[in-house]
Formats: sequence, structure tokens, C-alpha cells
Amino acid sequence: MMLTAIGVELSKVFSKWRTYIGFIALGLLIPVVVVAMGVEGMKYFDFATANLQQMFSFSGNLMNGYTMSYVLLGSLYVHVPFLVTLVAGDILAGEATAGTYRLMLTRPISRFTMVTSKFIAVLIHTNVLVLFLAGLSLGLGVIVLGPGEVIVIRESITIIATDDALWRFALGYGFAALAMTTVASIAFFFSSLVENGIGPIMTTMAIIIVLTIIAAIDVPMFDYIRPFFFTSHMIGWKDFFNQPVAWSSALTSAAVLLVHIVACYVGALFVIQRKDILT
Amino acid sequence: MDGLDLTVQPGDVYGFLGPNGAGKSTTIRMMLSLIRPTAGSISLFGKPLTTHRSEILQRVGAIVERPDFYNYLSARKNLELLGRLSHADVSEKNIMRVLDIVGLEARAGSKVKTFSHGMKQRLGIAQALLHDPDLIVLDEPTTGLDPHGMVDVRNIIVSLARDHQKTILLSSHILPEVELTATRMVIINRGKAVVEGSVQDLLNSGRLKVTVETPEVQRAEQLLRESDFAPYVQSTGEGAIILSLLRGDVHLVTKFLIDHSVHVEGVIPVRSLEEYFINITQEAA
Repeated sequence: MMLTAIGVELSKVFSKWRTYIGFIALGLLIPVVVVAMGVEGMKYFDFATANLQQMFSFSGNLMNGYTMSYVLLGSLYVHVPFLVTLVAGDILAGEATAGTYRLMLTRPISRFTMVTSKFIAVLIHTNVLVLFLAGLSLGLGVIVLGPGEVIVIRESITIIATDDALWRFALGYGFAALAMTTVASIAFFFSSLVENGIGPIMTTMAIIIVLTIIAAIDVPMFDYIRPFFFTSHMIGWKDFFNQPVAWSSALTSAAVLLVHIVACYVGALFVIQRKDILT
Repeated sequence: MDGLDLTVQPGDVYGFLGPNGAGKSTTIRMMLSLIRPTAGSISLFGKPLTTHRSEILQRVGAIVERPDFYNYLSARKNLELLGRLSHADVSEKNIMRVLDIVGLEARAGSKVKTFSHGMKQRLGIAQALLHDPDLIVLDEPTTGLDPHGMVDVRNIIVSLARDHQKTILLSSHILPEVELTATRMVIINRGKAVVEGSVQDLLNSGRLKVTVETPEVQRAEQLLRESDFAPYVQSTGEGAIILSLLRGDVHLVTKFLIDHSVHVEGVIPVRSLEEYFINITQEAA
């Protein structure tokens, strides 16, 4: 029954126009960024390394497909959550809005099956979206800009060898998928509470924005609470581009995100199990 | 709800009546496990809903209030997805069969967002039939429909019982609809069954309000008030006298008036279920 329910949910999700907004947005954005980086990538690179230009000289194919994909991953982790919540925030609340909970729950399908199948559909959509992002940015980047070392510019510069790049990207995008699944799970939980799909999307985005702002403010008081924000752990994908890989930090962040995912799923299940369907 | 026990026999069209707030929708939602009773338990087909939910719902098809669907999908796709959740045969043939029953076969490929309220209501009946349930629960199936739509749905209900041998629980506040379609009925008030039985038996058991139409109202009224029928005269209006009679006495009153040379133009029963319903619910209150 679970497989049937998942199939039904996927049919519904992929029959909705809003499901494709994320794919269309990324499908338009990434080629534009790749072309822009191909044309003016070195200007971007000069700007990013302005403080280091006096001590070091940089040469070679610096703005290559891998570096571009790294930059893109870093710049999109604030925006992709919105695309993810479009589906996750609507999947339960949308049934309440449309009055179709009645149709679903008068079938011989348990509420556990309904919630779990919807959650799995959200996971599939989210992970397909991240896979699409990874495939398009890496694939198009390498085709247009060519492969090369990943130039990681943070407090220090880390240069990842070309041969070393792909497995790090695999882990990095895998972590990004986990981070986006966390966002989707939060939206999913809020979706179980309300009867309008807009509320969970706005609430989830508001939480991400507020926590990101608080985390960015350099006040000692926030140092104590910052590690408890899931947003602080969403950037754990960067650990895979450290030399050597910061496994401990990455695994800690992954565990924190996993706890959030499980908590949101269990929370949504609890809410729906107890919900009286009055709409 | 308070110890409500409904006995719906196979093949019944079972009218489920009650004033607003009597608990009709609550009962139906509890039967379909959409809401949980605060105390006690629900049993259907002799089995408790809490432990046999899937087994019971496999045998039930339902429309609960408004007919809401996935508007972005076609009628056919809606039925296919819902049918899969009910372990129904979702072949094109079976889907077209139920769409044919409700007269929507020509619109199978149309998105539900293009459907009128009446068409959605008929599609609601189609989804309730798809898995060939033993019991069909229809909660206010004609609410919001125009007269044509009401007649369409009523004809479908009659056809389901007569031609497809379905058992139907019909909750409605439109009493003529129940009177025209139901074989048995229950009236509930404040969560309790007030009366239950065959529609005809229940209607015949009480008094019947009739309007006697005559151009000689004053003379007819005077004759009736001076006769044994005096307690049954309720009121007089322009060209008519209204009496509350036992069914067996209607022909006696008619004969009495004709024997006294009163020109009787018609003896018309006032909507009987309405009268019966109002009397019963007022007594219960």
C-alpha cells in the first residue's frame, strides 16, 4: 500500500505547475551564470582575491567548471530553500485548502501511510531538484568552462586538485541534499498545522532568514546559540572542500540536520494522526 | 452522539435526517474516521472501526459534503488516483463504466476545474462507486445544485439502488429528496435516534395534514366543526380548509363533505415528510 500511495503522491506532485518552478528557475539561472562566468569570471576572481594579489600571483584556468559549480553551490543555498518549500509547504496544507483530505482519508489508507507517502514524495522532489542543480552546474560548467582545480576562497585559499574534485562534489551535493531535505521537512511540518499552503512557505523562509541574520551578527551572546541553529549546519557541505576534509564537523552537522528531519516528520505525523478533518 | 445505532439493510436507500446541529455530519465523519469520537466506539459491518478501519473503508464509498477534487487533474486521472488508494480496478473500462453511470463519460479527459458544481457532485458519486463498495454514504449530495442538478443526482441515487443493487445512506436536509428516494429512514436529534423505520410506515403512522379545496369554505368549515371531525380542523384560508387527520380518515371527511353537497375540488396532502419531520423533532425538543 505504501508504494501505491507514494506513486499517487508523486503523480499529484508532478502534475502541478508549481513543482516545475524550481527546475525552470535553476534551468534558466545556471546557464546564465555559466556564460557570465565564462565571459567575466576572471573579474569575479580578481575581486574575490583582491587582498591576496599583492602576495600571490594566480595563473591557469582559475574560473573552470568545478570552481564555478562551487561558487554556485555557495550562492544558491539561500535561494534553493524557497524552491523546495513550494512543494513541501503545500503538500499537506494543499489537501486542506482543496478539501481533498476527505477524499484521501475515506479510502482504506491509514494516516501513517498518507503522511509517510507525502513525506517521501517531498524527499524525492527535493533530492531530484538538488540532483538537477548538481548535474546542470557541474555538467554545463565543465562543458563550457572546462575542468580544473577547485579554487576555494575563504579565510584562506584551498586548491583542490582536479582528480580530487568529483568525489568532494558528490559528498558536497549529497550534504546539500540533506540540508534542503531539512528545509523541506520544516515546511512539511508547518504544512501539517495549517490549511493554506502559503503559510508554511512563508514561515519556513522567515525562520531561515531570521536565523541566518542572527548567525551573521558578530555578537558574543549569539556564539552560544549559533550551534543550535539548523541554518548554521546547512553550510556543512563546505567541510568537504577543506584540506583535509573536516569529517568531524561535517558528520556533526549531518547528524543535527538528520535530527531536525526526523523531528519534523514525527511532528507532522503526530499532528495529522490527531487531526479532525472538518474542511 | 449518544448510543446511536443505525440498522441499514442491504439494498436500502436509508434516509438520515435531523435538524441542523442534530449530529448528522458528525456521525458520518465518525463513521468514515475523519473525526474521532471523544468517547465510545464506532462499529460498521459489525466490526469496530478502530481495529478494522481499512477493511471497513474498503467496503464504503462516500461523498462528504462538498465534492472537492484535484482540480488540476482530469476526471479520469482523479478517479485513477483515488481508485488506486481503494484497491479498485482502475482500468479505462472500469473508469468509463462509473463515468457512464453518472453521465460524465464525454468529459473524462476534462480537467475538474472546468466542471460545474453539479458535474463535480456526479463525479463524487463516480469516485464513491469505483471500488464497488457495499455501502455508499452520501452526505448532502444535492446541496448547492440547481433543480436540474438535483433531479439528476436523485435519479442516479434511485438507479444505484434499483439497477446496481447498492445500499445507500443518504443524509439530506432536503426532505422531498429523501421522501422520493429513501426506503427506510431515521430521524436523529441531539445525537439520538428519535424514530427509525420504513418511510411509508412512519409516514402512515402519524397524522396527515390535508388541504381540502372548496369554493364553499365557510359552509364546509361550519359542517366540519359541528361534526366528529371538529378537533381535526386546523385552519381555513382562501378557498381551502386544512385538517390534520389519520390517513384512514381522509376518505371519510371527503365523503362527509360530498354527502352534505359541498363542492370539493381537491384533497391535497401537505408535504407529508416535512410535517412528520417537524412534528417529530418538535416533540423530541
